[in-house]
Amino acid sequence: MKKDKNGNFKMISWDDAFSFIAEKLLEIKEKYGPEAVGYLWHLDSNEMFSQQLFTQLYGTPNWSGHGAACDQSRRLAGLMTYGHPLPTKDYENSRFIMLWGEDPLGPNQSLHENRELVEVLKKGAKLVVVDPYRSRTAEKAHVWLPINPGTDGALALAMTHRIIETGAYDADFCENYIYGFEAYAEHIKSNGYTPQWAEPITGIDAKTIIDLADEFARTKPAVADGLKGIVNYTNGFQALRAIFSLNAITGNVDGPGCLILKEAGPLAPPLVIPEEAVAVPQRPIISAEMGYPLAPDIPSQLFPKAVLEEDPYPLKALFFHIVNPAMADPNTALFKKMMAALELSVTIDVYLSETAQLSDIVLPEASMFERAEVRESLWSGPQVIMSQPAIPCLGSSKPLYDIMRGLGEKMGYGKYFQWESWEDWAKVATAYLPVTFEELKEKGVWHGELRYHKYLEDGFMTSTGRVEVYSETLSEFGYDPMPAYDDGNRVKPDADYPFQLINGKMQYHCGTHTQNNPYLMAIEGENWAELNPLDAQKLGIADGDTIELASPIDKVKIAVRLKEGLKPGIVRVVHGHGFGRTMGSVARGKGTHVNPIFDSVVNDISGGIGYNECKVSIRKA
Amino acid sequence: MSQYGFYFDKEKCVGCRACEIACQIWNDSVQTVKWRNVAMTFEGSYPDVSNVNVSMACMHCGDAPCKKACPRQAITKDDETGRVTVNRELCVGCMLCLWACPFGAPQLGIHGRMEKCTFCEDRPMGIKRACEEICPTQAIVTGKIEDLAKFSKQNVSGRLLHDESPGVLLGHEGN
Ligand code: SF4
Ligand code: SF4
Repeated sequence: MKKDKNGNFKMISWDDAFSFIAEKLLEIKEKYGPEAVGYLWHLDSNEMFSQQLFTQLYGTPNWSGHGAACDQSRRLAGLMTYGHPLPTKDYENSRFIMLWGEDPLGPNQSLHENRELVEVLKKGAKLVVVDPYRSRTAEKAHVWLPINPGTDGALALAMTHRIIETGAYDADFCENYIYGFEAYAEHIKSNGYTPQWAEPITGIDAKTIIDLADEFARTKPAVADGLKGIVNYTNGFQALRAIFSLNAITGNVDGPGCLILKEAGPLAPPLVIPEEAVAVPQRPIISAEMGYPLAPDIPSQLFPKAVLEEDPYPLKALFFHIVNPAMADPNTALFKKMMAALELSVTIDVYLSETAQLSDIVLPEASMFERAEVRESLWSGPQVIMSQPAIPCLGSSKPLYDIMRGLGEKMGYGKYFQWESWEDWAKVATAYLPVTFEELKEKGVWHGELRYHKYLEDGFMTSTGRVEVYSETLSEFGYDPMPAYDDGNRVKPDADYPFQLINGKMQYHCGTHTQNNPYLMAIEGENWAELNPLDAQKLGIADGDTIELASPIDKVKIAVRLKEGLKPGIVRVVHGHGFGRTMGSVARGKGTHVNPIFDSVVNDISGGIGYNECKVSIRKA
Repeated sequence: MSQYGFYFDKEKCVGCRACEIACQIWNDSVQTVKWRNVAMTFEGSYPDVSNVNVSMACMHCGDAPCKKACPRQAITKDDETGRVTVNRELCVGCMLCLWACPFGAPQLGIHGRMEKCTFCEDRPMGIKRACEEICPTQAIVTGKIEDLAKFSKQNVSGRLLHDESPGVLLGHEGN
């Protein structure tokens, strides 16, 4: 669909859409260079086609995932510490599991993790959950530690202090596989990161921290990790570095029951592009020139500045593939302004999302039931999944390969898109797997072997080949080389805005994608804010009331639910509802879009968005 | 005759409600009528809070009080499987079965007739029921009652075998 002069969508043919977009892209390349085009995607396994078209053939460096709104800080912490962006957990063999702001049994369900975690708890493993909110996972934990929001790093450092002080660390591992252990021990000591220091910061008493540290060091194998509840703070990157270092000094790395440096299956790029045809970007990715040289994904909140101010260089076209920043990113007003300023905006999605509604062109993609996918799973060992279309494409939708092919052909890259069917490209992509294509098609999955202690042979993929508690790379770029506790910039509640607003996902919905599903909407038809009954009482608010949440930049009205499992002083909201999809007869008008009250606060190293850094005042509406 | 039934593990259930939806979709029932329902009860006040999740459907009771209560003999118990079902042609929607059921299993459907879990009667026996198949944590297990009893004993003994610190075990049991 394409917008006409009056801003109304009109159906056009695929051929016209491809011609229009291709022409525009060639014109932009001519005028401003290929880097003036950006392509944002979520998590689609077919993204290799857009990568090959946009980065290798067209030549833009600005092709990026949605990390900044997600686990960006964890990814960078993984890279800087272990040389691995996505450490996974081998719950099955663990004896002691400590999760910080991570809710695998709740909205971040990964099915195998769920099963492994509940099974291992039944076998007697201990689970500690650190989270101001009593999440689904905290419900199953032996110990729930409602920590003060944003202070997770202090807890990890204080545990480290205790472990180093008592000599409970794994001396052999520290000596042979860690870079900078001596310096780190000294840094922890000289900064005075003691359990007593952490007590008033975290709200967890020193005795508990000491016991926890002792038990963590004593119980093998153990694993400590964190996710959304940490990366949603601007100091989350350092906190995760501290947590990853905690695993390292106790020798809990890449062994059974530990954090695993996951190996991926040997997938090949599906398009065959000879080396001499691969474009070399002339300018670096925008984030590198906007102060985030180490950011794994482009922090999406940088786009409005790049587009509106042509800083660091002009950015004229944006593609959105199954991402919905109009709904998911903070500061919705700024996003709309940016969309209006673009020369070309294209959304490829299975829904007419809010971002699609603001775009010039919308290309309907086939859903997961109508298309094939070849992807690596999130299991700790190498595992490749091949899903196959269950039904033919409905309406005029097309799978991503066909969309990229159509565009590619019009842009003059037709010869690289020679595959006719999904089987053709899937065969190329899976050629290196040790199973035949027929067997893979039949089973739908290939399991590799989960190998442990891979570092014994290969070392770590860091600059020193060791686990870097002291990071040479961070030091080179002028950042703190060791995990430190820095609380200076964090947005904290004050007299005018006395509550900390934290942000979560709903267990029964998937981000902003499922609000038009009648089954899920029958379970939870709207989102809400949660408040501890003690706070509610003081404010004269009862369960079910509508309240007004005001941050320094905007206010919203939302229904309230009282929750004993939430630390007082905090209000928690879940996002995803309340935008009113034009096409969504079920979703329309239900719930509250809360993002306008979040400001774009980001981690200054990773560029990850600090969704939880928001102070609000509350009153009955 | 066999008696089939459900084994449910509250320690495993994470309250995701996937079982409710799988049941609705498999059985073409509407979104508002729940043959299987996940009840969550919370107790205590901050920071000492506890809760239990229970996913429940019809128990397909041996002596089925609903069957006895029905004035129209609309409820029958299957000899082969022990499943208890409502014949919606005969039902007049008087709801006496609901009054009699200790678990509140029968539900008034949108057409004014009672409906309830049929143990997925159109799924062949020997494969998982819809709710069981979807459950991410395998909290629901179905089978013949004798096998389920064995299964539940195995679970407890398995835990004793694995557990090196009985204190934790007691903690679990007390929950
Ligand atoms: S057995 Fe079938 S009908 Fe009964 S609760 Fe489960 S899914 Fe529903
Ligand atoms: S699907 Fe399983 S875990 Fe989810 S609510 Fe039902 S019984 Fe509980």
